[in-house]
Amino acid sequence: MTENIENQIDYREAIIQGYVEHMLEHGRQPASVFKFAKSLNMKEEEFYNYFTSFEAIKSAVWEMIFAKTVAELEGQEVYPSYTSREKLLGFFFTWIENLKKNRSYLLSLYGGQSDLKHPLPQEMKSFKSKFKDFVNEIILEGKETEEIANRPYLSDRYDEAIWLQGMFVFQFWIKDTSPGFEKTDAAIEKSVNFAFDLMGKSAVDSFVDFAKFLYQSK
Amino acid sequence: MANNIKEQTSIPVSKVQRAAKFIQTGARVGGNYMKHYAQKVVNPSMTKEQLHLDNATDIYDSLSELKGSALKVAQMMAMDKNMLPRAYQDKFTMAQYSAPPLSYPLVVKTFKQYFGESPEGIFDTFTPSAVNAASIGQVHQATKDGKTYAVKIQYPGVASSVSSDLNLVKPFARRLLNMNERELEHYMDEVEEKLLEETNYDLEINRGTEIAKACGHIENLTFPIYYKDLSSPRIITMDWMQGLHIREWLMTNPSQEFKNKIGQAMWDFYHYQVHELLKVHADPHPGNFIIQENEKLAVIDFGCVKVIPEDFYKGYFALIKKDLFIKQEELDKIFFDLEFISVKDTPAEQEYFKAIFREMISLLGRPFHVEEFDFSDDSYFQQIFKLGDRISNDKMFRKSKLARGSRHGLYINRTYFGLYNLLNQLQANITTTKPDWLK
Repeated sequence: MTENIENQIDYREAIIQGYVEHMLEHGRQPASVFKFAKSLNMKEEEFYNYFTSFEAIKSAVWEMIFAKTVAELEGQEVYPSYTSREKLLGFFFTWIENLKKNRSYLLSLYGGQSDLKHPLPQEMKSFKSKFKDFVNEIILEGKETEEIANRPYLSDRYDEAIWLQGMFVFQFWIKDTSPGFEKTDAAIEKSVNFAFDLMGKSAVDSFVDFAKFLYQSK
Repeated sequence: MANNIKEQTSIPVSKVQRAAKFIQTGARVGGNYMKHYAQKVVNPSMTKEQLHLDNATDIYDSLSELKGSALKVAQMMAMDKNMLPRAYQDKFTMAQYSAPPLSYPLVVKTFKQYFGESPEGIFDTFTPSAVNAASIGQVHQATKDGKTYAVKIQYPGVASSVSSDLNLVKPFARRLLNMNERELEHYMDEVEEKLLEETNYDLEINRGTEIAKACGHIENLTFPIYYKDLSSPRIITMDWMQGLHIREWLMTNPSQEFKNKIGQAMWDFYHYQVHELLKVHADPHPGNFIIQENEKLAVIDFGCVKVIPEDFYKGYFALIKKDLFIKQEELDKIFFDLEFISVKDTPAEQEYFKAIFREMISLLGRPFHVEEFDFSDDSYFQQIFKLGDRISNDKMFRKSKLARGSRHGLYINRTYFGLYNLLNQLQANITTTKPDWLK
């Protein structure tokens, strides 16, 4: 039984790997699932045991990168002692490192696109929901430590805002030409700091509170 | 301009902090907005023939509140045009070029990028937050095998932002200094070169090591050792220098003898570099010195080193000879060589500037004219400031559009002003040594 599962994982990996390699070498999708399966010495129906379309493979690539990032991040000794801000920073830095390993593949897919947000490519949807789950945990923790202010309506949308930030970082990196992508590092650092400054308690909160008070005690 | 400078010296700390806050919240993101603002404000009045200097000063003031960093460069050149250091102290250092602190995840990432390991993997301990802000980066304290290290980490992308920041400053600097573009370029190149050098950590390690070796024999002076294998283009590891910064140290009420000793070490250090090495640590900023318990002066941070060209050296220091017993033609030649006066000047202008520079030089060279000089003499500094105010308020001086003084003078002047100021702070009495050829 265990052997069977291991085998399955191996095939899954092999298919993802094969697909990425095909994209790298040809710059476009294989002509058909049949052809692709054949190149992997696999029957077409066998292929469908793991994936039902090329879209599903692309989706799996995103998920794989995400899973690796989280695993690496949580493997860092200091990670548990990070503040929420640092956790998010750490995530983005590690994520970019992992994206880097697949840069050519990602460039072949997304290099020419000016805006990924509208519409979001189908294959990124499952990654998005996992990303949001992860971010929500950070946000929740931030609220507990009061790093992030709890604001009605607004604070429920923070995860979406951080997702957009993630897309911003990704697109910035796609276009980055600085040595070692150091501009992306600066972009991450600055945008996360900005985001957390916005989410944290600020003058606006005190202002709203004060205005409410004035209004109520009229 | 003079007014502006006066105000700057008296800026209360809280105002500086406010300005810093400003930067944090608004201006950093607003590069484009600033450019737009700059063009809108500068262009319309540029067509008018009357340049409202006051206007320019206003713009400059509000901008320097917004973007403290790059504007300091303009300020620095304003200083050089006046040749005088009223607001010199602390102002022109790269520390002004400060970036917000690096987050720890970014520090970890930088380490992984260059060493393939996190800071904890390389050192036994490593402080997660910075213990000190350095120019364009920050310093962490680390230990390994019982030794303590200072680890300096540079903010990503600083090098590439230097040029664009300077470009932002140029239109203001030009109006403020009343210089044409080509003249300004002449200084800007020098500044840009130095700022870029400062982002080059490999160079800093080499120079630090080199100067430390060459100056090792000087009494009461000590240097950190740089560790190449623990350094990279954006990380420098060196010995942690235990001790107090000048200001903290002065609070402990050291004896006059002790102050003289430290001051003398500082003087000797600069003397040796300028006259023997022709290469000088051009950033005599209080933060770059540490006074140790064994009564030694430690020099840290070799980011800004000026190499002095031989012919510039001869001309520049010939001027500090006592009483200027040089023949008029000889002096004229030096003035021309150092670009104090130019063939483009009218004879009246030439006479005027010669007189000014002569006065300035005899004043600034005064410590060299005696065997011993007491830098605690505040009246000497007052005289310098007064002369600076007088000159910068003079119509004739303001009218001239030429950049005066060789580009090399920029950092040499800065070095000496800085040194004088530090010695004044130390209230030290110094044996002012000079090279044999100047005696």
